[in-house]
Amino acid sequence: MKGIYRVLWKELVQVFRDGKLVFSTLVLPVFLMPVFMFGPSLVLDRLLKGAQEERQEVAVFGLPEEALSALRAANLLPKPHPDPEKAVRAGEYPVGVRWEGGTYRVYGRLSGGLTEGQVAVGKVQAALQSLKEAKVAEVLARKGIPHEVLTPFRVEVVNASSEREKAGGLLGFLLPFFLVVFVLSGGQVVAVDATAGEKEKGTLEALLMAPVPLLHLALGKTLATVAMALLSGVSGLLGLALGGALAARLGGGLLTETGQTLELGGQVALDGGSFLALFLSAFLLALFMGAVMVSLGLYARSFKEAQSYMAPLQLLALLPLLFLQFRGFFEPQAWYHLVPLFNVALLMDALLKGSATPLQAGLTWGSTLAYAGLALLYAVRVFAREEVVFRN
Amino acid sequence: MIEVNHLSKAYGKRLAVADLSFQVAPGEVYALLGPNGAGKTTTLRILSTLVRPTGGNAKVAGFDVVREPLEVRRRLGLVNGGMRVYDRLTGREALAFFASFYGLEGQAFQEALNWVVELLQMEETLDRKVMEMSTGMRQKVVIARAILHRPPVLLLDEATAGLDVFARRALLEFVKAYRDLGHTLVYSTHAMSEAEEVADRVGFLHKGRLVYQGSLTEARSLGQGSLERAFVQVVKEAA
Repeated sequence: MKGIYRVLWKELVQVFRDGKLVFSTLVLPVFLMPVFMFGPSLVLDRLLKGAQEERQEVAVFGLPEEALSALRAANLLPKPHPDPEKAVRAGEYPVGVRWEGGTYRVYGRLSGGLTEGQVAVGKVQAALQSLKEAKVAEVLARKGIPHEVLTPFRVEVVNASSEREKAGGLLGFLLPFFLVVFVLSGGQVVAVDATAGEKEKGTLEALLMAPVPLLHLALGKTLATVAMALLSGVSGLLGLALGGALAARLGGGLLTETGQTLELGGQVALDGGSFLALFLSAFLLALFMGAVMVSLGLYARSFKEAQSYMAPLQLLALLPLLFLQFRGFFEPQAWYHLVPLFNVALLMDALLKGSATPLQAGLTWGSTLAYAGLALLYAVRVFAREEVVFRN
Repeated sequence: MIEVNHLSKAYGKRLAVADLSFQVAPGEVYALLGPNGAGKTTTLRILSTLVRPTGGNAKVAGFDVVREPLEVRRRLGLVNGGMRVYDRLTGREALAFFASFYGLEGQAFQEALNWVVELLQMEETLDRKVMEMSTGMRQKVVIARAILHRPPVLLLDEATAGLDVFARRALLEFVKAYRDLGHTLVYSTHAMSEAEEVADRVGFLHKGRLVYQGSLTEARSLGQGSLERAFVQVVKEAA
């Protein structure tokens, strides 16, 4: 077993002596994550506020004075134009309005994400809605009908989630998602260098000459990959936590491109058991992916070829996680906890929300360990195949 | 010390090594000569347990290369021209890493290190990172890695490739010195002048077949004093 430790040590020393690699894999994510998560949100927030406060010009045709007044009151500047639709399409105005046959037709360029035009359209809609309500209220008052007749009852939506579920928020999705991203990106650095890198540099043959079973070599390299993957995962999650703290300071939400605010959560207080369970899940995930990456890396002829295998692997690994977003739509089934990667993501989500059961945990860990074992055996078989080892 | 009997290796329909037989005794340098693609590297890879033969058998230090690979590796050193050591480790760390696989740790490693440093004159390389070494220094570390456990059998495959004149000279001197210690060496090369300098016996490989083997003196006399002439003559006759 000493052979495993020696290979692990050698791989990690090689990695940690590469300052640039350590910086880009372990340091940079801590600072990049908050920027990545909240940078666009902050910029969007500022742009939306700016657009709300700015006085946009509105191309108008045939509007009555009361409507023009309503637009002016909503901080808009109506400008008469014979064809508002054409003016908006040509980009001369962010928004246009035509009054025709009892309809206010509002024109805006609404394709392609949130734009100033959409904000202006929203302002026009709100102004006209207020005008409509004022006119309705005026008619009702004239006829002696109380205004309350328009709201015979109210509808209230109450979030009945448990406190821990609420605290989990989006983290239940973000945590496994980013964990997989960082485990893969951090792990591949070692996996590629320890396999295709060794082949390319001419060091693999010397290592294979050592009187040590191939399983020890494969396990040593896989564990080095796991160590780096976990460190990278911790680094990414530190960034996520930093981002979460920043989010809490800025109101606890993430602004989406449609202008909706998503609750991030980030108030999770895990007990020791849940924390250990999360760590074990992350470790098994890293072990599984590490063995897969080592196998792929060894199969490649060169460093470049190995990297070209890693990009599709990353996409493939993220695919089941995307379905985690829809977990609220389906009834939980035990077999979901046997689906590679998806099971770990489901369990992490459940752990964060305090709803994980021993069966879910057992199935997830057992199956992931089995997948890791199979991947490791495959790595050993690849190591033993001379046509693979010498195909450079 | 090395026994090769009817050894073959096929890659699909192509025979890389065909019915190869030879023996090498302790205290002997056997030069395996042939152009690129003659089967020299495949033969040495079979002897070093990295490649499995498809026919015949081979023993190194009394152990079968297929059935007892770990025992063979414990008694064998391999140096080839393309071999490198880890560039971010120092010479000492790289050697300690490989030595540990042979149980050489602590005092045992230090003694092995002292021996190899003296033999190869490589004191200045020990505490330098491999990436900061010259080609010759690096090759010394590669050789040191292969002999640190004092293997009774050493295989060298185009070991002077890429070396400058000084490093090449040092390597040839080392081969003779290691032979004089009573060890068994196979020296594979396409450079006849190197074989003439170090070999006791030679074998000519052509398209995977051993077309001639004999002592260096016999081979030279076959080529009227020139090993190269003998090689060309034998290969032409075999073709």
